[in-house]
Amino acid sequence: MTGSTLIILAVFVAVFAGLAIWDIVRSKKKNEKFRLRSTVTAYLMLLPAVLLAFLFILLPILYSLGYAFTDYYLLTPNDIDFIGFDNFKNVFVEIGEKGTLYHAIINTLIFVVGVVPLQIGMALGLALFTNRKVRGVKIFKVCFFAPVVISLSVTSFLWLQILSPSDTGLLNSFLGIFGAKPHDWLRDPKTAMLCIIILSAWQGCGYQMLIFTSGLSNIRNDLYEAAALDGANAWQKFKTVTWPGLRSTFVYIIITVFIGACRIMTQPMLMTGYQDHTVTLSYYMYQQGYKYRWVGYSSAVALIMTLVIGTITLIQRRAFREK
Amino acid sequence: MKKIFKAVSLFAVSAVMACGFAACGGGGGGEEKDEAGNTIVKIMFHVDEKSTEGQAYKKRIDAFNTAYKDKKIKASATYQARTTGAAGYETELLNKQVEGTLPDIITFDAPNCASYAKSALLYDISSLVPQDVQSDFISLNKYDGKLYGLPIQESSAGFFYNKNIFKAANVDVSSYTVENPWTLAQFKDVCAKIKASGKTAVDMRLDATKDETATYLLYPFIYAAGGTFTSEDGFTASGYFNSAATQSGFQFLKDLVAEGYTSYSIGATDFFTGKTGMYLSSGWTIPEIENKYKETFKSRDDWGLLPYPQGTAKASATGSWCFGITNNHHKDKEAAKELLLWLTSTESSDSITTATGMIAARKSVNKNYADGSPESVLLKQLQLTGKARPSTVAYPTFSTCFSQVIYSLKDGNLSDVLNAQAKTLQSEMDRIPR
Amino acid sequence: MKAKTLNVDGKTVELNSRLNGKRITKEVIYYLCGAVLSLMFLFPIIYMLATSTKSESAYAQGAGSLAMFFPDFAHLGTMFDNYSSVLTNYGIWKYALNSFLYAAIVIVLNVLVNGLAGYVMSKMRFPGKRLFSALIIFLIIVPVETSIIPLYSIVKIMLGLKQTASVLGIILPATISIFNVFLFMQFFQSIPKEYEEAARMDGSSTLGIFFKVILPLSKPIVATVAVFCFIGVWNDYLWPSMILPQTGADKWPLMPIQAALTTIQSMEGITTGEIMASLVITSIPIFVIYVAAQKYIVQGFGSAGLKM
Repeated sequence: MTGSTLIILAVFVAVFAGLAIWDIVRSKKKNEKFRLRSTVTAYLMLLPAVLLAFLFILLPILYSLGYAFTDYYLLTPNDIDFIGFDNFKNVFVEIGEKGTLYHAIINTLIFVVGVVPLQIGMALGLALFTNRKVRGVKIFKVCFFAPVVISLSVTSFLWLQILSPSDTGLLNSFLGIFGAKPHDWLRDPKTAMLCIIILSAWQGCGYQMLIFTSGLSNIRNDLYEAAALDGANAWQKFKTVTWPGLRSTFVYIIITVFIGACRIMTQPMLMTGYQDHTVTLSYYMYQQGYKYRWVGYSSAVALIMTLVIGTITLIQRRAFREK
Repeated sequence: MKKIFKAVSLFAVSAVMACGFAACGGGGGGEEKDEAGNTIVKIMFHVDEKSTEGQAYKKRIDAFNTAYKDKKIKASATYQARTTGAAGYETELLNKQVEGTLPDIITFDAPNCASYAKSALLYDISSLVPQDVQSDFISLNKYDGKLYGLPIQESSAGFFYNKNIFKAANVDVSSYTVENPWTLAQFKDVCAKIKASGKTAVDMRLDATKDETATYLLYPFIYAAGGTFTSEDGFTASGYFNSAATQSGFQFLKDLVAEGYTSYSIGATDFFTGKTGMYLSSGWTIPEIENKYKETFKSRDDWGLLPYPQGTAKASATGSWCFGITNNHHKDKEAAKELLLWLTSTESSDSITTATGMIAARKSVNKNYADGSPESVLLKQLQLTGKARPSTVAYPTFSTCFSQVIYSLKDGNLSDVLNAQAKTLQSEMDRIPR
Repeated sequence: MKAKTLNVDGKTVELNSRLNGKRITKEVIYYLCGAVLSLMFLFPIIYMLATSTKSESAYAQGAGSLAMFFPDFAHLGTMFDNYSSVLTNYGIWKYALNSFLYAAIVIVLNVLVNGLAGYVMSKMRFPGKRLFSALIIFLIIVPVETSIIPLYSIVKIMLGLKQTASVLGIILPATISIFNVFLFMQFFQSIPKEYEEAARMDGSSTLGIFFKVILPLSKPIVATVAVFCFIGVWNDYLWPSMILPQTGADKWPLMPIQAALTTIQSMEGITTGEIMASLVITSIPIFVIYVAAQKYIVQGFGSAGLKM
């Protein structure tokens, strides 16, 4: 690791130096010179963060992405060979043959498409619900936030009880009152992903509710009063005042929820285990990298996934950016 | 100018730090000795030091250090608890390998034997362990004909049953012993009678597919039907995993579901609260019944243990953690051998299993279990019908494939499912360099 | 009864008693909805609390039915047995103390390191800034799941194998958080330039401005970062159980609470009730801190503006 760490460090410093020199040259042309004193202060203040981020975030990520081009097998860490694009070839073969990776991609897509609107909708609804100056609202907010901080193992155990396939399972016995037959919610490919989407949205929306609440608190009250005077009803107020006021909050939430949704792993792991109808990309990577020990192959999947998520995020930023 | 100098030097310092920490990996080559000249043998256990099992190991290590004081060998133990969900133990192991600080002796789970041996993590101990010692073990951990591990203690599984439910359903199972096992057909008869009495017949643990549990408990049924999973060398699955005999083994399990004897929705505590007649589980359940569920099971008159039913072949679940010597920087394995033999000796085997309540790994440990007691059923089963899970480097994939078949028993077309899983397993095996 | 009148911009709005009655029903409906919604989000906690009062057989009897959300009324006298056994037998308070200590150190360092970086990125001009802006976005996007193996090697190699040094392996990686840099950046951008300029006139250095002007103005975001640092350190179990050694039974443990809990939960002989009791105990600090800081968190996110 010594040699490669040094090389990475050298490349990092070189890229930095190159950009810095380019900036300096350009600034001279534009006549907006950098001041030496403030530049040095800036570097010094940035140094602890850069050093720590380099060591504990950037370096591990670069290593794991670099493994994508090797045959790293977890049990033989002293015998790693560079194998070019072989792992990527295997990735496309696996997708082409409709193997587990293919299902993982489809399931992740379904999850993202389902959970992003649901979770954001629920969060916005809860934020609007608690955005009143009446007694007790604070307690409601604490309640809605509870699933965010409760250990995942407890909540998933509970959901397993609720979704239990037997006729005495909580959901089944409730639906039984209306004459519905007991259903195996998590084993049925038609409902499994739906259950996981709902429970993930339920688990996470308290956090986004909080951020929406912050956004709402920034909207000036006189805007509402003005709208009320114009005779606007609740929906018109929402459309003309609330929604435009929440715009930047909304962009932020959509991007972070999207990135979080792409990485979903724990919920299917705890609810169904490694099964074709619920496996997701992150779970697939985990299984391949840790359980089956193909670190190289798993990293290749990670690299492709990073590229795709990155591209989509950049497109989102472009699309939603205020003109 | 001074400031620039300061900034540059800070960057330099950070660069030096970066190389510094990267350089201090790697270990020495020779033997390790302490100030008193003792040869140090390092060992790593997979349990928490404070647990009963950890305390039992600790006592044996202390006894070793007293006994080998004159021979100048000293054992030094570390305990890295294998916490649920976290791959902490194996990660620790692998990083020690990268650093070159692998302990001399490690513990490992039996199914890992093939992959650890194949990647040269383990040392071939065939010649280190005397023949008479080897033949005293109920089972040995071999790969490619070579010995890599000695079991610490044995584990097996069977059908715990509620005697009161059996009585109420008029079922007599007293004649079904390990020597004279029940057949698969008789198993179904018993299930039918319990079902007729209004209880769930058996919890086959079909929902335990998220970890190794279902694989461990159910693979003997496939062997009992004459099926196999992989070729002898563990590199071929096509034609084995999806063979007709294998399919008939899975078909038996599928029938149990179809006929309503078992299901995927049996609550985890249903057996312990008297809702289910039989419960497939490992020896760990014995202390659980006796300590936690006294309301349903007041004494051993209320529950018992039945062996696995047998078909054209005989099989029951085996395999637990074992000791192995590692292929580390110590070329001289003499001291490690002494500690290994000490920890697996009849005396150690006896005292460790007395503490944990498990079955001793050595035949010469003479525990007087009452005839027909759960412990004696497990012990006899290990000696007479025990058959290990397939030995293959691709074991983790095998385990997943097996779990997925169990998971889809209810709905899927069995032969399609088996063909698909055989293909997955085969493509995984093809990736392993021979 | 005289009708109440309200004067708004010259228009007179009448509020008669009928309308008042309508408002009360509206309020009742609002609180009813709130209560139902709260229950939907609270049921894991209700379940945890209920189970923590039960013996193993009482728990098994109620499993899978609505009874699992109610305490064991038949044995109210033994309700707190699980709590006392967890606290005395497993010494949970030692691990909790560790967690508090780690969290305190991480919070201080995290605010300092990321706050400084956020300040530089939002307020200062310097060559090479674009690299760091790009890095921040990149590091927020990349999935980190596979990087835990190299991270483990880096930390282990860097710190060596000494027991006490491994505590640094918990603290240092938790000190840097790109997301917090981003939060600080967004918040500082909303602070008007005039504050800094005034301080600069008085001859303050940049570092002085950061500590004397910017940080005091940033209480909401500091509170937000602190709370999420705390929750992060408190809930993390995978990483500490990988990086920290098990100390001897007679020594003070190094493990933080959740890592210790995963070990305790897999111990032989522990009952579900005891597991739940330990979970309840470990959830209390998070709730207390969250409730206390909720106001600041809302302000913190609010003023940060959060432009991606």
